[in-house]
Amino acid sequence: MICPPKGGIIAAHNTRKITMGFSTRQIHAGVTPDPLTGSILTPIYQTTTYVQPSVDGYLSKGYSYSRSGNPTVRALELKLTDLEGGVDASCFGTGMAAVQAVMLAFLNAGDHAIISDVAYGGTYRLCKQVLSRFGVEFSFVDGSDLKAVAAAVRDNTRLFLTETPANPTMKCSDIAGISKIARAAGAVHAVDNTFLTPYYQRPLELDADVSIHSTTKYMDGHNATVGGAVISARQEHADAVRFIQNSTGSIMSPQVAWLTLQGCKTMSLRMDAQSANAMAIAEYLEAHAKVKQVCYPGLKSFAQYELASRQASGYGAMLWFEVKGGLVAGKKLMDNIKVFSLAENLGSVESLITHPVTMTHAAVEKAERERVGIIDGLVRVSVGLEDVEDLIEALDKALAQV
Amino acid sequence: MGHFHHFDTLALHAGQTVDDEFGARATPIYQTTSYVFPDTDTASSIFNLERGGHAYSRITNPTVAVLEQRIAALEGGSAAVCTSSGMAATFCAITAILSQGDHIVASSQMYGGNISLMKNTLPRFGITTTFVDPADIEGFRAAIQDNTRLIYGELIGNPGLDILDLDAIGAISKEHHIPFMVDATFNTPYLCRCLDHGANITIHSVTKWMGGHGVAIGGVIVDGGNFDWGATDRYPTITEPYAPFSGLNLWDEFGPSAFAMRIRAEAMRDIGPSMSPMNAFLLLQGLETLSLRMNKHLSNTKMLLEFLSNHEQVSWVSHPDLPSHRSHKLAQKYLPKGAGSIISFGVKGGRDAGKAFIENVGLASHLANVGDAKTLVIHPATTTHSRIDAEALIAAGITEDMVRLSVGLEDVRDIEADFENGFRAAKKFVGD
Repeated sequence: MICPPKGGIIAAHNTRKITMGFSTRQIHAGVTPDPLTGSILTPIYQTTTYVQPSVDGYLSKGYSYSRSGNPTVRALELKLTDLEGGVDASCFGTGMAAVQAVMLAFLNAGDHAIISDVAYGGTYRLCKQVLSRFGVEFSFVDGSDLKAVAAAVRDNTRLFLTETPANPTMKCSDIAGISKIARAAGAVHAVDNTFLTPYYQRPLELDADVSIHSTTKYMDGHNATVGGAVISARQEHADAVRFIQNSTGSIMSPQVAWLTLQGCKTMSLRMDAQSANAMAIAEYLEAHAKVKQVCYPGLKSFAQYELASRQASGYGAMLWFEVKGGLVAGKKLMDNIKVFSLAENLGSVESLITHPVTMTHAAVEKAERERVGIIDGLVRVSVGLEDVEDLIEALDKALAQV
Repeated sequence: MGHFHHFDTLALHAGQTVDDEFGARATPIYQTTSYVFPDTDTASSIFNLERGGHAYSRITNPTVAVLEQRIAALEGGSAAVCTSSGMAATFCAITAILSQGDHIVASSQMYGGNISLMKNTLPRFGITTTFVDPADIEGFRAAIQDNTRLIYGELIGNPGLDILDLDAIGAISKEHHIPFMVDATFNTPYLCRCLDHGANITIHSVTKWMGGHGVAIGGVIVDGGNFDWGATDRYPTITEPYAPFSGLNLWDEFGPSAFAMRIRAEAMRDIGPSMSPMNAFLLLQGLETLSLRMNKHLSNTKMLLEFLSNHEQVSWVSHPDLPSHRSHKLAQKYLPKGAGSIISFGVKGGRDAGKAFIENVGLASHLANVGDAKTLVIHPATTTHSRIDAEALIAAGITEDMVRLSVGLEDVRDIEADFENGFRAAKKFVGD
C-alpha cells in the first residue's frame, strides 16, 4: 500500500522467478545494505515518524508514521513474502493479532467461517468469545475430512482457516483440497503455517490465499520476541489485511522485527536439527513401555503419514504423547522432568513441555476438547536444539518416576 | 545544525542528520557489525583514515557517532569518542598520550575506580601518579616532574564533593604545557563546561546523569581541540608518524581532533572497548531530557539539604552548595546552577545507625550507582569501603556514620517520608 519494496532479491520474487535456495533467501531476502552507510544489516528504525521533504512530497520516501509502516518491519515483511512465495506481507505484534486481522479483513457481520476443528486455543477463543459478538458465525470442522468441509459450506461462507498440523493434536488438513473447496465457494483460504514454517510447507503453493504465522515460534526461534505475520498470494488480499492493520493499529515493533530478522537466518538449520531430535524422541517414546501412545507426523504409525509427507517436506519438531496412567501420570512426568521447561510457547531452541488442557487450550470447553482429541493426559512437547541424548535421558528419568 | 548553539536544542538535535532514505525522525539503531563498501578504493581509503566512513562497528558506528557528535557539541569540544564504560574512557584517554616512564598529577579525591587505575593498574605499565589534595593548588604545581604528561581531576570530587579550581589548575597546565583532563561525570556539561575553564579533555561516565535512567553503561572522551600537541616533543603518539597507518601524522592531518583520532585509531582498533549501538540509542534518549532532569535533581537536592540539615538525627550534611562546605565558593563560581545531586550525611549513632538507616528505607534503592532517575543510597563503611580500617576511612574522607545519597527525580515529599522510616530504625543507636 504505502511501503515500497527495496529491490534486490525481492525483485526476483515479484516476477515469481525464485531461483535461489531457501537458506540463501532466509538470509538475504528483504535485506539490502543501507544506502547511507553500507550497514550490512537493516538498521532498527526505532522511530515514530518520518520527516517529509515537502507537502507535495508527502510519502515520496514511503513512510509517514510507524503504525502505517516502518523500514525495519518492512524488511521482515519482504523476507517472509519471499519465503512463503507471496506478493506481500504484514507483520503484527502477536500471532493472534495476525489471525484477528485476517478475520477482520475477510469477514463481516452475517458472514460465516469454517475453522479446522483443532486449532490453537486462542484462535478458538477469538472465534467463540469475541467475533461471535459481532455477528460472525463459525463452524469447527474436521479439516482432514474434505467431505465434512464441503458439507459445512454455506452461502455466506467467506473464510476458511486451517491450522495444519494442528495444535496440539497434530491432526493434518489437506491444504490443496480445502483450497479447492474454498475457491469454489468464493471464499478466502487462510492457513496457519506456524508449526512447519515455509521451509517445510508453503500453503500458497498449495493454492491457499493467505499464510499466517506466529513469528514468536520458529522464525524467532530463541524465545526472544512475540510477533505475527500474514503473507498473501494476491495483492487485493494483502491490501485488505494492511487496511485492517492500519485501521486497528495492530503492528510489530521495529526491535521485534530486527530480532526476528536475525532469527530467520538460521530457520532451516534449526528446523532440520530440531526435527531430527523430534524424530529420535518420537521413536524412543514409541518403544517405551510406560508410554501409551505417541503422535508425531514423521512416525509411520501417524494416522495421516501419507498426507503429512505429501504436503510438507519435513515433519517439524512438535509431538505429543500420553503416559500410561493418563493425567495423573502425565502431570507427575511434567513436574519432575529436567532439561525440558514446563512452559507455554513452542518452536524455540529450548525444549518445552506443555499440558494443553490446563495451559494452551484451557479456553476450549471440555466437551469440545474431547471431541477433537485433546485428551486430559496429552503431553505436548516442543523439541529444541539440545543434544538429543540429553533430552532422551531427561525423558527416561522422568518416565522412571511415573 | 551548525547555527543552533543553545544547550537544549543541541541536546535534542546535535549530531543527527535525518536519514535521507526514509526521513526517520529518531536516530536509527545501526545494530550491525560491518558496512558493505561500494568498491575497493573506498574501502582502502576508509581503512587508511583518508576519508570518513564506517568499516566495522568496533571502530565506528553511525548510531554511536550521533551520540559522540552530540556530546562534543554540548561540551564545546572538537570531537568525542564513546566507549563501553566510563572506566574504559579514562583508560583509553590516558593511554592515548602516556607511555612507559610518564607521570600523572591527579586529585586525591576521585572515584575509587580512577584511583585504583592510577595507583594499581597503570604502574604495571610504567605510568606513575602523584595524588594531590584538590584544594592544594600549589601542591599540583609542586608535584609536576620532568616526565609529567597529564594533570587529572574530577570537578566534583568523590566522595568528599570537593570542587576542583579549574581555572587555577588550568593555568598551571598551560604554564607547564601539560594537558588537563577532567572527569566531568558529576556535573555534566549542563552544570559546567570544563573546557571553557582550562580543561583540554573531559571524560564522562555517560551511565550516570547524561543517560540518567540506569539502563546502559557507557563512557565518552571529549577532545577539547584546545591543546597544542605540536608545541613540544612530549606527545609523540599524536605528533610523530603512526606506523600502522603508513606513517600518518595525526597532528598534521587532524589538528584539533588529533587526540580523538589517536583514540579511534589505536584504542578502538587495538583495544576495542566500543559502545554498543543499542546503548548509544538509549543514552541519546536520556540526553534529550538532560537539562530537565538536572533541574529537578537540583531542586530536589536543595529541598533535601534543608530537610537533612534540620533533622535531629543527622549529625552533619555535606554538599558544596552549603556555606559550611570548604568548596562552597568554588561551587558558586563553577556550578552556579547547583553543585550536583550527590549529598553525603552522617546518621547519629555511628556505623550501626548508618546501616539501620539504609536497611529501612524502601523507596531509595540501596546500590552502588549514582545519577539514576531513582534515588539511590549507600553506606560506604559497610559496602564500597568495608575492607579498609577506620584510619584509612578517615583518610579517604569517609566516616562510619556516612550515608551517600544520589538524589533522584521522585516527589521530594515521598523521599523525605521514606527517609523518616530509615531514621526511625536508626534511632535506637543514638546515645550508644
